[in-house]
Amino acid sequence: MMLLTVVLWGMVGAFLLPLYHTARRRDIWETMLALSSVATKSSLILLLVSVIRDDWMMGLVGVITLSVGNAGFMLLAHLLRRMGQSGDSSLG
Amino acid sequence: MVTHLWVDIGSGISLGTGLLFWFWGTPVLFTRRSILFKLHYLSVADTLGSMAFMVGLLLRRPREWPLLLLAVLSLVMWNTVLGYVLAYCSTPEPPESRHGSGC
Amino acid sequence: MDPVVNVIMVLLPLSAGLLVLETNPYRALVVRGVLGSVAALLYALLGAADVALTEALVGTLLAVMLYAVAVRSSLVVRLGVLQGDLAQGGGGLAHLMTALRQVLGQEYVQVEWVPYGELEALQQALANQEVHGICLCLEPEGVQMITPIQRLYEILQREWPLPLQLEYQPLPAGGGH
Repeated sequence: MMLLTVVLWGMVGAFLLPLYHTARRRDIWETMLALSSVATKSSLILLLVSVIRDDWMMGLVGVITLSVGNAGFMLLAHLLRRMGQSGDSSLG
Repeated sequence: MVTHLWVDIGSGISLGTGLLFWFWGTPVLFTRRSILFKLHYLSVADTLGSMAFMVGLLLRRPREWPLLLLAVLSLVMWNTVLGYVLAYCSTPEPPESRHGSGC
Repeated sequence: MDPVVNVIMVLLPLSAGLLVLETNPYRALVVRGVLGSVAALLYALLGAADVALTEALVGTLLAVMLYAVAVRSSLVVRLGVLQGDLAQGGGGLAHLMTALRQVLGQEYVQVEWVPYGELEALQQALANQEVHGICLCLEPEGVQMITPIQRLYEILQREWPLPLQLEYQPLPAGGGH
């Protein structure tokens, strides 16, 4: 159980990296990359905690976040692409 | 008891590998490389690292296998497709088609 | 376990502040997704699996889509032009479009042409507030632009790169803007 707690702290540390990257005002696609990374990492943290606590429900939430959230990001990426197409120069 | 020890060691190695993958791929975000380079590193790190995590958790808690299997499947499928979609959307289209849609 | 939950609890107001301080509406959409992820994680860690599920579904999927539609449909300037002007050469109008996109892109506003067949229809559209302004090609060369929106007039007057006759013409009665 000690090992899992250490791994959990490591995951939270890795979770902070893309979160910090969203705070830096860079290109919007880099923010999208950070977003997909944040989504994957958060659901993995959820799965690990569900194993530690032996809680099925939490793991189910992690799995559903993993699959549905990614579908939403795909839609968002297409929308951003279409907006960039119709002339917003700031989207590049 | 001996098998229990081996399972512990194996899951520890898997979890460590996953953590290593995450910490190897995520800092690429902060470099000044192209977006496709970052996408490649990030998707490799996320997918492989997360799969290593799942294997480690599966060794430790075989009772929760349906959940972890579902997570592995959806992770592999969606992360691949999302990587492709992001790469497709983030590269700007050729200039002639861009101009044509405007006026 | 609890220190980890505390760390993630700190992350929630941080990402919410990030979202509030974001000025670009398109980037704000993406940051909204990040906020949804962090919130779902925190809710599930605190034991509210149903709330976390709702946040994951609504926050990252539905809200982002609704905001995207709202941003896309409201941050557009529609400029009426004559179909004839657009068809014949249109060099002045093409230059105008490039410059307009450059200037208004800094305010995250998009520009699009709305072609009309005749001058009467164009002026009628301006009076009916169907368009935010009209552009007319002048005889020798040059473009005249008439807008009833004061804010648009101010922005264009402040940082205008091209020579252009710009005219502010407020609506006669009860302007909606």
